[in-house]
Amino acid sequence: MLLRIARSREGARITHYDLYKVDLSRGLTVLDAIFQIQDNMDESLSFRYSCRGAVCGTCAMLIDKVPRLACRTQVATVKDSKVDMREPFAAITDIPAGWDSDNEILIEPLPNLPILKDLVVDMTAFYDALETMKLWAEPPGSEEPRLQSPEERERIDRYVNCIMCALCYGSCPVNNSKTEYVGPAALAKAYRFYQDSRINERDRFLTSAKAPTGAPLCELIMNCVRVCPKGVAPGGAIRKIKNL
Amino acid sequence: MYSHDILVIGAGLSGLRIAIEVAKDVDVAILSKVHPLRSHSVAAQGGMNASLGEQDSWEAHAFDTVKGSDYLADQDAVEVMARGAPRAVIENEQWGTAFSRTDDGKIAQRPFGGAMFPRTCYAADRTGHNLLHTTFEQASRLGVTFYHEWFLTSLVQSEGKACGVTAIDIATGEIHGIKAKAVVLATGGFGRVYGYSTNALINTGDGAAVALRAGVPLKDMEFVQFHPTTLYPSGILITEGARGEGGYLLNTQGERFMVEYAPKQMELAPRDIVARAIQTEINQGRGFEDSYVHLDLTHLGREKIMERLPGIRDISMFFAGVDPIVSPIPVRPGQHYSMGGIHCDKDGITSLSGLYAVGETACMSVHGANRLGGNSLLETLVFGRLVGQKVKEYVSRDPDVNSCGVEQAAFEMRERLQAILLRESGESPAEIRAQLGEIMDNEVGVFRDQETLESALKAIRFLKERSEKIALARSDTRFNYSLIRALELENTLDLAEVITMTALMRRESRGAHWRTDYPERDDESFLKHSLVTLGDDYLKTEYIDVNLGMFEVKERTY
Repeated sequence: MLLRIARSREGARITHYDLYKVDLSRGLTVLDAIFQIQDNMDESLSFRYSCRGAVCGTCAMLIDKVPRLACRTQVATVKDSKVDMREPFAAITDIPAGWDSDNEILIEPLPNLPILKDLVVDMTAFYDALETMKLWAEPPGSEEPRLQSPEERERIDRYVNCIMCALCYGSCPVNNSKTEYVGPAALAKAYRFYQDSRINERDRFLTSAKAPTGAPLCELIMNCVRVCPKGVAPGGAIRKIKNL
Repeated sequence: MYSHDILVIGAGLSGLRIAIEVAKDVDVAILSKVHPLRSHSVAAQGGMNASLGEQDSWEAHAFDTVKGSDYLADQDAVEVMARGAPRAVIENEQWGTAFSRTDDGKIAQRPFGGAMFPRTCYAADRTGHNLLHTTFEQASRLGVTFYHEWFLTSLVQSEGKACGVTAIDIATGEIHGIKAKAVVLATGGFGRVYGYSTNALINTGDGAAVALRAGVPLKDMEFVQFHPTTLYPSGILITEGARGEGGYLLNTQGERFMVEYAPKQMELAPRDIVARAIQTEINQGRGFEDSYVHLDLTHLGREKIMERLPGIRDISMFFAGVDPIVSPIPVRPGQHYSMGGIHCDKDGITSLSGLYAVGETACMSVHGANRLGGNSLLETLVFGRLVGQKVKEYVSRDPDVNSCGVEQAAFEMRERLQAILLRESGESPAEIRAQLGEIMDNEVGVFRDQETLESALKAIRFLKERSEKIALARSDTRFNYSLIRALELENTLDLAEVITMTALMRRESRGAHWRTDYPERDDESFLKHSLVTLGDDYLKTEYIDVNLGMFEVKERTY
């Protein structure tokens, strides 16, 4: 199998693409494939990784023009798994010269975040939203665990499953055009706290989510729902925030 | 010049919990080679033990842990952990962790291997993920300072005290010295010494290897946990919770073979016993494709699987093409946890003043020869808090680190790494890594004997020699992950040597360490912890006593 990989030695922009051939084996993932390249063909190729089991959210990248986790994407079947990206922007629509889309997997850095080197992007803006929106609970400081019914827990289940991989951020046309937008993951997390029956000051999460850099900027394009690897469906939460 | 009161290495649950404990009173920073949310704690699935039930008690939890450890755990440390467990669970609940609930709204608990009560609190099968995200939120709330994506290269000491580290800022490739009055190693396990492991690719034992090189002893390194059920062929973890919820293990004959190995506890015997049972079935020809057995959940039904084990279903479908609602999951044992680690006591105090260890990288020892499922998340949070208090006390005495030569150490490290980067030809780290993984998988695995261990030790030493001549083809400084991985490889090689040496020296079978040539436990000679210290150019080994006292040492049956 051939992989065409975006390169950027100094960061900021993709300077060129390199083409590599990897050996296909049973269950080979895109992450396995790019390790093969780093190990045996080009040691200078940079990319992030950690758990290789789709729980740590580290290896987000643009694969065949769709934001995906490299560890969860099978080389053998990636050509069969189409995702319809609505209102596509330049990183999605620009086709690199020479890409044979039938026979080569195209691998590029996750869009909407500055490129630092090759497939490594600067996640600062994505992480900063968690802090500026204060997305944490204030502990009540009692000695007893609180009660929460299974139904109440179920209301937040979808949102606590978020692994902060930023695929939603990289898929969002609003994040592409408005750098001030906090993005889908942060809003889903705010909604998770707002919906948590145990939280006392839940209104502050709603206020934060409805700030001008938050839910009002969302245009309900729902690419975030299409690319989310954990079924969080941030767009659904944002729609609810907008209606509150 | 970077300087802090306390520098924590590692941003998993242990490191974060330490920082939370001390953040209000002292200047603390956490250095981690990945963003905290990418730490391996995130991958823990099944849960965290605490005796919350009315019929349960901390004593019962302690007893199960000690028995599970094949009596090698230090009972004073186990007592601290079992007593502290309910508090640790409640604290994280207060911070916001979304534990699964019973119908009356209490924190739900599921049965786990080796436990006589359903004692394992969980958040579906994503407990580590929930705890890590929540604990990171609290560290953020307290404004903890982070060095994101910095890689530890050495420990610096002066006048018999730890006083800082050297580390690479991965983004720039610069090597810096960071001074600290105390250093806490919370770098997690070292599963990637093996080829086939449930561990994240980042689990290379950097803290343990750096401690070893600094002359700090490592303890009980021969005790490596092989998780019974890892997904074939990727090695991704399939939680013990799958058996806790009622899953069966079946061989090619369709038999629940655990009846032969642990007739009472069956699938919920401790991990060492279930792992050996599965490996025996495979070795004796009752495995599928000579490689795996079946973990059958189909009788649990769609609803229970979707509610309790949704992550397992996801993993099975994506990584093995199997939907556990309709088909059994292919599983085999694989490296999972490092019971051994940096020698320290229940306060995290190591042999070097100012150096502390906590979590999987430490060996206190609460797990002895075999850890029970649900006790590792617990260890991180209970001891993160307690060790945090001890470190804070230590730095409040204002240890003098003025003469600490972190800049000189950074200069020397720069020279050493420059030499690697400038070497134009030499050995391939990828090849050495692959060979190391194969040796450890095949020769230092579930079943061990003298001959294969000796051959493994010889091969590892040869790989170590080769690793001194590695060359990297390109010398970019920014985000040079090839360099980082080469340094991680050095760490795993050093630890592999210690694991294999101690496995060779322990001529008995205890917990996860099974010698086919010495199949009995030998309390007279080996009811002891092994210690390995690096001398000038040799590894010194010795044995020290186990802290007993609460529970009598008995035969271990399930």
